[in-house]
Amino acid sequence: MNMISISIVIINVILALLFSLGAAPILVWIERRVAGFIQDRLGPNRCHIGGIRLGGLIQSFADMLKLVFKEDFQSSSIKQGFLFSLAPVLVFGSAFLTFMVMPFADDLKIGEQVFMMQGLPIDLGILWFLAFAGLSVYGIMLGGWASNNKYSLLGAIRAGAQVISYEAAMGLSLVSILITYGSIHLGDMVAYQGTLLFGFIPAWGIFLQPLAAIIFIVTAFAEANRTPFDIAEGESEIVGGFHTEYSAMRFGLFFVGEYVAMSASSALIVTLFFGGYHLPYLNTGVLKSNMPLVLSFIVIALPLVSYLFAKWIGKNNHWKEEGNIRNRESKILIQGILVINVGIIFLLGIFLREGLGEDGVNIATAVIQIATFAIKLLLMNFVFVWVRWTLPRFRYDQLQDLGWKVLMPLAIANILVTATIVVVMGV
Amino acid sequence: MLDVIFLLLSSFAIGGALGMVLFHQPVHSALSLILCIIALSGLFALLSASFLFMVQIIVYAGAIITLLIFIIMFLNVKEANLPKEPHKNITLFLGALGLIPLNILILRAFYKLPSSFLEKNDNFGDIKPLGMELFEHWLLPFELISILLLVALIGAVVFGRKEEA
Repeated sequence: MNMISISIVIINVILALLFSLGAAPILVWIERRVAGFIQDRLGPNRCHIGGIRLGGLIQSFADMLKLVFKEDFQSSSIKQGFLFSLAPVLVFGSAFLTFMVMPFADDLKIGEQVFMMQGLPIDLGILWFLAFAGLSVYGIMLGGWASNNKYSLLGAIRAGAQVISYEAAMGLSLVSILITYGSIHLGDMVAYQGTLLFGFIPAWGIFLQPLAAIIFIVTAFAEANRTPFDIAEGESEIVGGFHTEYSAMRFGLFFVGEYVAMSASSALIVTLFFGGYHLPYLNTGVLKSNMPLVLSFIVIALPLVSYLFAKWIGKNNHWKEEGNIRNRESKILIQGILVINVGIIFLLGIFLREGLGEDGVNIATAVIQIATFAIKLLLMNFVFVWVRWTLPRFRYDQLQDLGWKVLMPLAIANILVTATIVVVMGV
Repeated sequence: MLDVIFLLLSSFAIGGALGMVLFHQPVHSALSLILCIIALSGLFALLSASFLFMVQIIVYAGAIITLLIFIIMFLNVKEANLPKEPHKNITLFLGALGLIPLNILILRAFYKLPSSFLEKNDNFGDIKPLGMELFEHWLLPFELISILLLVALIGAVVFGRKEEA
């Protein structure tokens, strides 16, 4: 263990924390503003720190503070206090662990050492995800049972039945993906998706296995307990479902755990079907050999995008009255964007002039790939939110019918077809 | 370091197994069983059998015990309705006595083990060599076991089905 390997490990852990735990406030913000947009209203946007509102992002932090400082109430009817407290920890912990095998970038080579760019450097990939996604249901079931409340128990039983049914279809849809990629290690799968299909389409999972992609995305929604599969907490029928009796930070852990699980599902969907950290047509090799070109492109494109963004801020965050809080915020934000632009362009200019060297090119590739992964992850999370505010909740029998009578036969048929093609083509 | 982890995991496994037998409340027993299984999977991981480690968690902890707990919660037995166990200690003692022959067998097998172990090769416990071994040398037994499981599955569905009215 020298300095480089220690710092890479620390960076990886911080990145995993940022993408899962750090994403939660941003996801809450996206959820509320998108909900507002879809329902033709504004959503929360007034909370601010010294005039900085960031379009309502500050509201999420205010909510977090509220959850931390709220009274941690526990009803006297709860006999199983230990299990009651353990349940949210299980949900949160297992959701967090599932994120640990998502690759943020291609294996990073510095000098003679090669590092896996993921939270924990293990190559168990999909199996790891399945294992800990399966464990998270214990948290929900225990929480519901320990609450000693019929609504909570109903929510827990619904959650259990739903996860067991959809895990079958999810596992089967993953089998056909495993046959296609020939590995369970997510890094290998993403490397495979960096190639081209017929010479012009990126070989992304969604083009290779469209049916498996649809089945997996549907089951991932069910595993993350998101609408249209959130019957475990159907407010109109069973109050809050399994978290009816929870308050303050114990509820907060359930709440954050749901967003972390959603983020982990999105990360897996992106990794399996949308090319992971690869930009389309630019796999790691191409990116490395054309690094000066890519950097020059960033130098040109960044000011243009920033200019448009600044103009958009100036237009939308504006008030007639002089010295209004909105005008002040716009000014600060635009100045901030300017400073970031100047800084990045200055740095890239130095890199372009001095040349990067082999390690430098590798690190720059990793940074670009991490940024790509982050953008894809946010887009997939946006799809989760979009679906939640568009589709109504399933009825319980419809949900089970969909799982057992539609998704599972389709997944099995997909395995048969995939295996036949792989055997016949001899790939 | 490895020894400490081994001791911790083993004590969790033994504790979980004991709790499974000793607890009165069925949910607690099932939870101790999960603890035991997860600790066992940790022991597999220590032996660098990564596939067994994951499968142990996915199949036993993730699926089978989930179903068990699901059923126990579904029945929702109240504390007062649980059966009384007046002779629990005696039954446990007799059960432990009955297990002594098995223990002797395992201990004898243990002392028959070679004192120096074979070096493990690099890809020991990985998925690919395991699959190759299964489908090259043990194909027939593997398929027979699959058919056995399939028969059990179909049988469960047939018995579980309501009679057509």
